[in-house]
Amino acid sequence: MIHRFAPLALLALLALLALLAGPLPASAGQYETLDYHIQQMIAQAAANDEAGVQTFREQLDNLRRPEAGDPVQSRPLFQQGQEYLNHDQLKEALSAFRQAFITDPADAEIAGQLGLTYLRLRRMKEAERLLVYALALAPARSASWLHLGQVYGQSGDTARAAGAFANAYRFAPDRSRLAGQLRQLATTDPADAVRAGAQRALQPTQPLPAPAAKPGAAANLLPPAASAPVPAQPAAPAPTAPTITGPAPSTPPASGVLLDSLRRGLSSLAKPADTAPPAAGSRSIPTAGEQPGQQIYRSSLPRTCLIVTFRRGKTDSLGSGLLVSADGLVVTNHHVIENADNLAVKCGERESVARVSRRSKEPDLALLTTTLNRAESFVLNEAYSPDLIGLEVFVIGNPYGLEGTFSTGVISGLREIDGVRYFQISAPISPGNSGGPVILRDGSVIGIATMGLKKGQNLNFAIAAAELIHSGLFDPARMKMSTAQGKGR
Amino acid sequence: MNSGFWKAVVLVAAWCAVAPALAQDSDRSRYYIQQMIDLAATHDETGVTAMQRMLEQEPKPPPRDPAAAREALQRGQAALRADDLNAALTAFQQASDNDPGNADAVNHLGLIERKLGRLPDAERALQRALALEPTRASAWFQLAQVYGLSEDNRRARGALANTYRFAQNPMRAEEILRNIAESEASDTLRTAALEALRLYQLPVEAVIVPPMPANPGIVPLKTTPAPRQKP
Repeated sequence: MIHRFAPLALLALLALLALLAGPLPASAGQYETLDYHIQQMIAQAAANDEAGVQTFREQLDNLRRPEAGDPVQSRPLFQQGQEYLNHDQLKEALSAFRQAFITDPADAEIAGQLGLTYLRLRRMKEAERLLVYALALAPARSASWLHLGQVYGQSGDTARAAGAFANAYRFAPDRSRLAGQLRQLATTDPADAVRAGAQRALQPTQPLPAPAAKPGAAANLLPPAASAPVPAQPAAPAPTAPTITGPAPSTPPASGVLLDSLRRGLSSLAKPADTAPPAAGSRSIPTAGEQPGQQIYRSSLPRTCLIVTFRRGKTDSLGSGLLVSADGLVVTNHHVIENADNLAVKCGERESVARVSRRSKEPDLALLTTTLNRAESFVLNEAYSPDLIGLEVFVIGNPYGLEGTFSTGVISGLREIDGVRYFQISAPISPGNSGGPVILRDGSVIGIATMGLKKGQNLNFAIAAAELIHSGLFDPARMKMSTAQGKGR
Repeated sequence: MNSGFWKAVVLVAAWCAVAPALAQDSDRSRYYIQQMIDLAATHDETGVTAMQRMLEQEPKPPPRDPAAAREALQRGQAALRADDLNAALTAFQQASDNDPGNADAVNHLGLIERKLGRLPDAERALQRALALEPTRASAWFQLAQVYGLSEDNRRARGALANTYRFAQNPMRAEEILRNIAESEASDTLRTAALEALRLYQLPVEAVIVPPMPANPGIVPLKTTPAPRQKP
């Protein structure tokens, strides 16, 4: 056997030696090639070297083009991304543009808008890479140069911002419009380097300081019509100046028999993750034409949380929770978090790591601290009396990971189990609803969804909010409560 | 002598020690592929390239009936487009039997096996495809998914790193990896993609809350009608 392989080993060793004599091929090198040309175009633009810019543009044009994808599939995704971007739904836009880009990586407009989305998400490294790539596909796409200038400016690189802005102007189909956009950036952008870069690009006769890669020279980029003087000291920018998006675009006691049955048959509703947004506001604001359920859902969703627990580095279980203070306190069930090494919460669209602040096995409750500040929070309702039976209730949670699932029912009864007061409710709940809010029509939280009877139909139980209010978890300085019976608005 | 040289020498020496035990060509190929995965998972570019070269020197099986293989391949692709996985499986198996050196046929076979949840078979087929064409990024990507489904983080990371390494369009591959790292519900695959991007020092945001499965266990509530009672 050794004889059989020995010659092959020798050949292999020779091949390896030959291989190691030269540089190793690396696919990642492609981006560096593109970036080199784009940086050269920036440097040449800063030097106002029209010929130099043109030379590197032509070199880019001569590089091998990426294989085109399927526009029939990519363009609808692109249009969807544009819709999301126009409505400032950045995560959704990112997802749509990503899919479009993966489908057709040779479409410069798609790559450019993906880069812009990263810019608006303040993910500068990704934005730079995508915009450089987009410009390598279409070196004369002014919008991508403008956005790349914003990336460099927001990263504090005034020189590159100025060069990229200069190219945005150079390739703009409507230079007066572009000059207007640069003037707006020069005066209102919150980032110092963006303002300074745009100002430099706007200086009619001043030389543009060069980016680090190459020394600069004189620049005269604007024709008289577009070269209106910019204030030497721009007014303090508004802190939330808009980003230019580019030219293109309770309690009768239960009987002993029932209690035993409940103890045997009740199952908690935390959901193990391996088998797999949210709630009602404290005082929802009605919108014309909306049904009460719609109002409750709309106002409660941002205050209802998905709780994800991690164990040994992996997702372990899912549950629900509710925001109960403006500084990000979240209430959930103890059984949701009891085995977790780490916790994360997502309340509406906001995410945070979480830490257990206080916990209680009876009642089955836990209080989590998060980094979610300026949060809209629920009002806890202390009411617990037979008068409540028959009131409509609304539940939001994440059953089986189905985020923001909304269901309705009524308060079916008041049960006291092991000394803890529960509302029996008919609203459907499932594993993953644990810890979520049970809401009255006035938007206040009357209970915390906790468990259900496996047998039977819609026999579910929520710890009364009164238990939370009278527990060591309640902080009157930070949490809001009411005593209203919640019979409706 | 640079450290790359000595790494290569050590790798060849290790291979000389192991190779005699690997009686079959396929065993040798699998060894090289696993080495490519392990080395990629630690970002050892020199080692990956060395193993790639070794694989490329392996003899390729000759075709038996190339025309029949081409016809079966086309039939399999049509069946795949029609989502008829069983028909596609049969066709790709025929294509592979008729031309055992056709990487495209074996790669498709691996894809179908993965879609059918036959992970060991999928792994075998994809390794065969990679033995024939070690730089085939799509096979590395399929293999990464097999390891992800098998909850083998290290191998998934290595296979994803090789996906990026051999991608024809690295920017597209980078975005695919970011999409997995930020949107994939499977912890193993998501983490593997995150780590693969970090191996290459590419920008990525680790998620705080992992994505939920899109449709967790939702199945059609169909039922068979009760048989009619005779009057």
